[in-house]
Amino acid sequence: MILITEDSINMDLVVNQLRDNSIGAISIFMGNVRDHGALGSITELYYEAYTEMAKNTMTEIEKEVLARWKIRKFVAIHRTGNLKVGETSVIVGVSSEHRKEAFAACKYAIDCIKSRVPIWKKEKSKRGNKWVEGISLSK
Amino acid sequence: MGETTVTLIDSRDSNITVKLFAILKDVVAKKEIILLVPHGGTVGILKNQIIQEYPSLNSFSNKFIVSVNHKVATDGTVLHANDEIALLPPVSGG
Repeated sequence: MILITEDSINMDLVVNQLRDNSIGAISIFMGNVRDHGALGSITELYYEAYTEMAKNTMTEIEKEVLARWKIRKFVAIHRTGNLKVGETSVIVGVSSEHRKEAFAACKYAIDCIKSRVPIWKKEKSKRGNKWVEGISLSK
Repeated sequence: MGETTVTLIDSRDSNITVKLFAILKDVVAKKEIILLVPHGGTVGILKNQIIQEYPSLNSFSNKFIVSVNHKVATDGTVLHANDEIALLPPVSGG
């Protein structure tokens, strides 16, 4: 399941999506909004996505994960809009027979999402707002 | 008598809409810009035109990339009238 959404993420739904009687391991990465950044103390993060391209790129990443590891199910969700400190901005979840491939695939997927998916965040603080300097997409 | 510059417009030249995101959208204060690109024009030509028409983007020119139909494009990619084109700054999701 690949999703870009303004809605908060329901973790029960994510875990249920990953459950399967044939698997023994579920690995989930949650990215949360920190209370500090380049501007010091921050109040919110604003996320913007090029939604169509972001979904396509996340689907490519899913295919790479499924080709490389024996993974049963894959979930990747990224939120957009204004998120308050403590809210979850991104989820990657994978399920597999054993933990080794679940950990490896989950790490690979979140690293790829952070470096290849066209999503941007802006830090908001009492002192002002600032787009976070990111990673240039490779050609 | 001074020189006169004449720009010939080929009927096959295309007005191409370029979507802007994040800091690039804020700098230009527009979600998208429209540029007249010569028939057979490439991403490299488009980038030069963007910087000429929107000099405020010049300082970002070595950082942004152009996507064509949701794929990262190279300077040599040839543009077509119905392509979906976007200018993307470095990404910072997660």
